Amino acid sequence: MRLIEAPFETPLRITGIMGGEGIRRRLLSLGFHPGDEVLVVSRGILKGPLLVRNLTADVTVALGRGVAQKIVVESDHG
Amino acid sequence: MDEAHPPVVVFIGQPNCGKSTLFNAIAGPKAEVSNFPGTTTKHTHSTVIVGGRSLTVVDLPGTYSLVPLDPAEKVAYSHLFSERPDLIVNVVDASILSRNLELSLELLELRAPMLVALNMVDLAEKKGIEIDPAELERRLGVPVVTTIASHGRGIKELLDKAFELIDRKPAVLAHGWSADVAEKLDELAGLLPDGFCSGYDERFAAVKLIETGNLACDGLLTDLEPVFKAELDRIRAELERRRGVPAYEVIASERHHLALKISEEASRLRHGPRLTWDKRVDSIIMHPLFGYVFMAAIFMLFFLVIFKVGSPLESLLLKPLGELRLWLGARLGTGLAYYLAEGLLQGVGGGIAIVLPYFLPLLMLMAFLEDLGYLARAGFLLDTFMHRIGLHGKSVSPFILGFGCNVPAVVATRILESRRDRIITSLLIPFIPCSARTTIILALVAVYLGPVWALGFYVINLAVVAVLGWALSRLVKAESPGLILEIPSLKLPSPKAILRKTRLQLMDFIGFAWPLLIAGSLVLSLVQYFGADKAVNLALSPLIAAGLGLPKELGVTLVFGFLRKELSLIMMLQALGVGYKDLLSVISREQLMTFTVFINFFIPCLSTFAILWREVGRRYAFLSVGLSVGVALALSRLIRLFF
Repeated sequence: MRLIEAPFETPLRITGIMGGEGIRRRLLSLGFHPGDEVLVVSRGILKGPLLVRNLTADVTVALGRGVAQKIVVESDHG
Repeated sequence: MDEAHPPVVVFIGQPNCGKSTLFNAIAGPKAEVSNFPGTTTKHTHSTVIVGGRSLTVVDLPGTYSLVPLDPAEKVAYSHLFSERPDLIVNVVDASILSRNLELSLELLELRAPMLVALNMVDLAEKKGIEIDPAELERRLGVPVVTTIASHGRGIKELLDKAFELIDRKPAVLAHGWSADVAEKLDELAGLLPDGFCSGYDERFAAVKLIETGNLACDGLLTDLEPVFKAELDRIRAELERRRGVPAYEVIASERHHLALKISEEASRLRHGPRLTWDKRVDSIIMHPLFGYVFMAAIFMLFFLVIFKVGSPLESLLLKPLGELRLWLGARLGTGLAYYLAEGLLQGVGGGIAIVLPYFLPLLMLMAFLEDLGYLARAGFLLDTFMHRIGLHGKSVSPFILGFGCNVPAVVATRILESRRDRIITSLLIPFIPCSARTTIILALVAVYLGPVWALGFYVINLAVVAVLGWALSRLVKAESPGLILEIPSLKLPSPKAILRKTRLQLMDFIGFAWPLLIAGSLVLSLVQYFGADKAVNLALSPLIAAGLGLPKELGVTLVFGFLRKELSLIMMLQALGVGYKDLLSVISREQLMTFTVFINFFIPCLSTFAILWREVGRRYAFLSVGLSVGVALALSRLIRLFF
């Protein structure tokens, strides 16, 4: 599933990042890599951005909906 | 070491690692500290003398990696290559160790003398993480010094170690790579043309070539020979085929996994993460509903504090100035001496009594919000609204800075990755009412028409920004990459840091704007004495009198309004020849509103114009002027129709 469809406060694992080089590089540099465990903390109102916590790197970022659409995740059961 | 050229030490680290705080503790209050990614857009350097030895210290902008993705990061990147520092001090945020180590590993690849400052260990401890510096030192192969920059802890040890390393020049080994990657790196390194990126490690050059690929990088990856380029492409393709991801991702994931491993081995989790105060605060100020309530409250407070603090202060200061003016009139008569003295008084007094009471509280509030980390949060909350006008949340921080002063706001657009976003944001910033214009709005609209009018003025102003943004984003077509913004953990700003930042900004005003203000007042006095204002007024009267319905004496104020907006108010009083209190006796409320609207929008001030020219180019600087004049004319017509 895509990160944008993911339920709140549920551990997820990044399996892939779609999209162009710009987005991929930016995410990598902020510490978001395939294989990392992430959590959707909240979402802005009116189709706002997602607040995503990377549990592996212990970093929180705000991701626009377009960006969240390009991150593929699966639910993480340990 | 010879004294004329002291050794150069660069400070480099990821955004929010406390690098600027550490730098300030060593170099004095010369660099700005802030909690928003990328506010140190220019590098700051200074020469310090420690224990009788001098040292040139350079503070580079925070950067996540050595592959520049935005103009701010490019500064760090090119500096590192052109200046060849004697020592790299890599500042690492201990509370997010593994991600910070990714940059450390990348720096190790340079094989230049390096020292790690393990900073914010107190924050890590609060999170229940205990880091063993000795183990970290062993794994990285370079010295590690523990620091808490905000309390000044570890600074002396850091400097001692720095001098030791500068003298000893120890060899630095890069970290290892997986066998398949190492093989390809060595293959490429063996193919490097003679003299390619001489002085640096060949494997480092190979890594950067594979990693940056088709990204243009200053100095390093200029013209490649076609034969070598073909070899590079072949090696990259082989690596991509083997790993199934783009070449730059192969390199990044190598560092990522190594960083994770080192961070796990060097740290010990003492207890699970506790619900700390900042988490609790965050759950309110980032809340989908309360977050906006809180933000609205902050902006109201902003407005209120400035008004409640500024206004009484102003009247307190204006009274003696008015008396002084009367006294001068009685003593000096109406000759040249009186005009000069009065111009001087208006300039000096205007700065003290009209600008400072509003400017100062605004600066302090801004500094507080910035250091707290609230600006990034505002970016998250406002992203959805920014999308409506074709931008995204990262532009929020330059906009908010713009309420203080447009000039640093335009500079702050460097944190935006896409040129399109930079241009649109830079063109919109001059429409944000900066503190100088807020002064005019408050002093004219709020005082004479009432606070509600001033608030309405602000709302209309923001609506103008929104409409313009919407229109501009339709004109400047190009994909915007969307919001990817780190939300740093909340940090309680230290009063010292706020005062330091406020003082820095204030010095800009005193050193740059105030002399202009005084000179402007004097010139205007002289112009009046010699009667030259009539000529200016006559030339501008089609616009001022016929176009806007204002007294034609106000023509000269527009000329000075270009120098610095806050001049306009003082110049207006001077041009009309009345004191602040008697303004409404010579000008109607409608005219007051028209004047405020026109002066607020009509042209970016000289410094904003200059910074636009420098940052986004001459074309856009002139476009900005055109836009402002157009908007000012249209709006003041509207005011006359509806008032």
